[in-house]
Amino acid sequence: MPAYQLTVNGRARTVDADADTPLLWVLRDTLGLTGTKFGCGQGVCGACTIHLDGQAVRSCQTSLKEAAGHAIVTVEGLSKDGSHSVQKAWITEDVAQCGYCQPGMIMTAAALLKHKAHLSDHDIDEAFADHICRCGTYPRIRKAVKRAAGGVK
Amino acid sequence: MTSRRDFLKVTGAAGAGLVLGLHLDAKPRPGESAKAAFHPNAFLAIRPDGTAQITVPKVEMGQGVRTALPLVLAEELDLDWSRIEVVTAQPGPDFKAMNTGGSTSVSTTWDTLRRAGATAREMLKGAAAAQWKVPVGQCRTEKGFVLGPDGKKLGYGALAEAAAKLPVPKDAPLKKPADYRLLGKRTPRFDGPAIVTGKAVFGLDVRRPGQRFAAVLRCPVPGGQPRTWDDTKAKAVRGVTAVLKVPTGLAVIADSTWAAFKGRDALTAATTWDEGTAKEFSSAALEAKARAALTGPADDARREGDPAKALAAAAKVLEAEYSFPYQAHVTVEPMNATAQVGADGAELWVGSQSANRALDRAATAVGLKAEQLKVNVPLIGGGFGRRLGTDFSTEAAQVAKAAGGGPVQVVWDREDDIRHDLHHPATLHRLRAGIDGAGALSAWTHRIAGPAVLRSWTGGQKAPSQAATEANGAYDIPYAIPAIAVDFAEVEAPTPLGWWRGIQIVPNVFARECFLDEVAHALGKDPLRFRLDLLGDRGIVKFGRDTADIRRLKKVLEVAAEKAGWGRKLPAGHGLGLACHAYDGRTYAAEVAEVSVVKGRLKLHKVTCAVDCGLAVNPAGLEAQVEGGIAFGLSALFSQITWEKGRTVQTGYHDFPVLRLADMPLIETHIVSSAETPSGMGEPPVPVAIPAVLNAVFAATGKRIRKVPIEDGLI
Repeated sequence: MPAYQLTVNGRARTVDADADTPLLWVLRDTLGLTGTKFGCGQGVCGACTIHLDGQAVRSCQTSLKEAAGHAIVTVEGLSKDGSHSVQKAWITEDVAQCGYCQPGMIMTAAALLKHKAHLSDHDIDEAFADHICRCGTYPRIRKAVKRAAGGVK
Repeated sequence: MTSRRDFLKVTGAAGAGLVLGLHLDAKPRPGESAKAAFHPNAFLAIRPDGTAQITVPKVEMGQGVRTALPLVLAEELDLDWSRIEVVTAQPGPDFKAMNTGGSTSVSTTWDTLRRAGATAREMLKGAAAAQWKVPVGQCRTEKGFVLGPDGKKLGYGALAEAAAKLPVPKDAPLKKPADYRLLGKRTPRFDGPAIVTGKAVFGLDVRRPGQRFAAVLRCPVPGGQPRTWDDTKAKAVRGVTAVLKVPTGLAVIADSTWAAFKGRDALTAATTWDEGTAKEFSSAALEAKARAALTGPADDARREGDPAKALAAAAKVLEAEYSFPYQAHVTVEPMNATAQVGADGAELWVGSQSANRALDRAATAVGLKAEQLKVNVPLIGGGFGRRLGTDFSTEAAQVAKAAGGGPVQVVWDREDDIRHDLHHPATLHRLRAGIDGAGALSAWTHRIAGPAVLRSWTGGQKAPSQAATEANGAYDIPYAIPAIAVDFAEVEAPTPLGWWRGIQIVPNVFARECFLDEVAHALGKDPLRFRLDLLGDRGIVKFGRDTADIRRLKKVLEVAAEKAGWGRKLPAGHGLGLACHAYDGRTYAAEVAEVSVVKGRLKLHKVTCAVDCGLAVNPAGLEAQVEGGIAFGLSALFSQITWEKGRTVQTGYHDFPVLRLADMPLIETHIVSSAETPSGMGEPPVPVAIPAVLNAVFAATGKRIRKVPIEDGLI
């Protein structure tokens, strides 16, 4: 059983687990990073979204083997103190209700803003097409993403 | 009522600052004398360093109770909001009423929290006055300080110890609403910073030393049991340590969630089932029984005038059948609980909406006394009524007991969560309206046929309030109609049921407000004018167990219609629809939906909502509940659970769709300000959304939709 080398939130980690173990469970159960959430395990709800080399990916659909050697960032590593522009926008717009799906939403928003300077509503629709918030925080997610993009005064 | 003397006590030890125990549930329990032993069920502690800790006796599931309840107390006490720590209570003798549902948390704690805050404020002022040797009347409070004459100023922390030694004053004066500096202002969620940094701890995030993980293989037919199984392959999965028979199925214990899931999957093919009594259950069979019950015997929820006579005498009778399906909760955090069970004590970590029940039932299930079990309630990743159930907490205690030793977290996957949900059952509705010779609505009958949810709460018993509960939203039809009959015909269903956000009011108000719209159109009347006329010039009206203020309902209807531009010219293919309801006679909501149907495709453009829930404790939280409640209602337009051979056909978000961001209409919320005692907002926006949209679909297309979910090609 080979051990895998991961870089999580800038820190080198060695994980000894099966190659097909979803990164989600490595993060949550092995490394104790519970900010990344389990919602469906099928890549449908987006609660487990993290960054892999700067791209938003579903950690429940990414195996340990696929993740090895790549830069992984979870919500815990987005900023040291909640000062990322997306986190700040989320607080200003008071987005969260139960809050469970929000780390995944925030990771998608952060990746979106990194890759696109000017956002249309359609861009936001597309980016969040595979995210579910059962509390219905969508109107505030839209506002917060625009605020973080500098579009809301 | 217990005496005032019993409602508040200094409970803290010396050196702890000022610790007050508050008794929130002021009514003595059956068999308890008014002078029964004091059991505080909320705590306020002002520490020597000036921070205030508030223990909240209700659970947080996104409705904002960890913000709203502390706000009420902090207002009267003039606390510095930035120096507050909020703690969720633990069920037990001190906290006997943690049940969180029915949109009641603010209304049931409002008086006591205010009185508690005011009392503590007077004690702190008293302590300062004694120290300064000035009359207490010369002292006032501001943001965590007592201010006295000549610029004297002392922080609450410095006064707490002395205040704790003073007698508890009776009838401390309450603030006037004009003096509020926190209530009525927009306060962001207390837990926001923890949520956006991933630090917030939900049930599934509980991590205890030595913790193991478990998945349970349950029969796909609720109530079924494993007959034979071979655990060889499951035990061969790396990380799996045991396969155990537990009351709900077969528990696979492992050192990670993933190993538990893999072991459970390996066990699936090697297990045979005794599928139990529900194995033939199907949606088609239930619907046939319900349709038969539409014309059979039923229990009255409301009967006024002589509906049969009025219908017989009517110049015209309209009749329609409405249908609403089984629904699932699909909280994004699936069911889970963590338990540690020893021979003489146990501990449970569970996101429960009914923590007291969870405690009692888990203790009984593992053979312990209630006082031997400690229950911790972390944040809840969506409740919506699902977590009023205790099935998942009891199961975790049973699994932990079977596994022995340290803590075990039982994790449900998405399929477990949807198959073994406590579903909200389907109902059929038959409505009739009589129109007299003068063109007035003279009779209204509404028969509801379906399983009784209330039995899930009463241990299977038929409660005296069953018909009213199952017909809630139908029997309290607020319109002045001379003859009304609303009744409920129970149809048995063999699978577990439960409450759902908006409860039976959702299907009932859907049928009621859509059918009323049909009547308005049949009479050639404007649906808004028709409703306003039927509401009439009445004040407080009593319907069975509830009363409602018709003036408040009219007001929200008028505001929503005006703000939405009711009657304006619309683009081609667009329509406006409206609906309103007085939720349990306490919260008033009206919504106007604008939709379009182009080439058969429905688009939800905007919902304009006006609400009156009395004083708005936190408008930011209130608007969030309106937005979320409307999203929850609209989502139900497209989702359903169906049954075949005792199994749910649906297994996940792929076939039980939830509204997505791109589908979400604009929501405009108008809070009708009112000085009344605050009531809840978690549920009231939900039921109104569905008929508002379907009435708008009719306005846009002329097509009347009487069946939820909206099927492809129906529009």
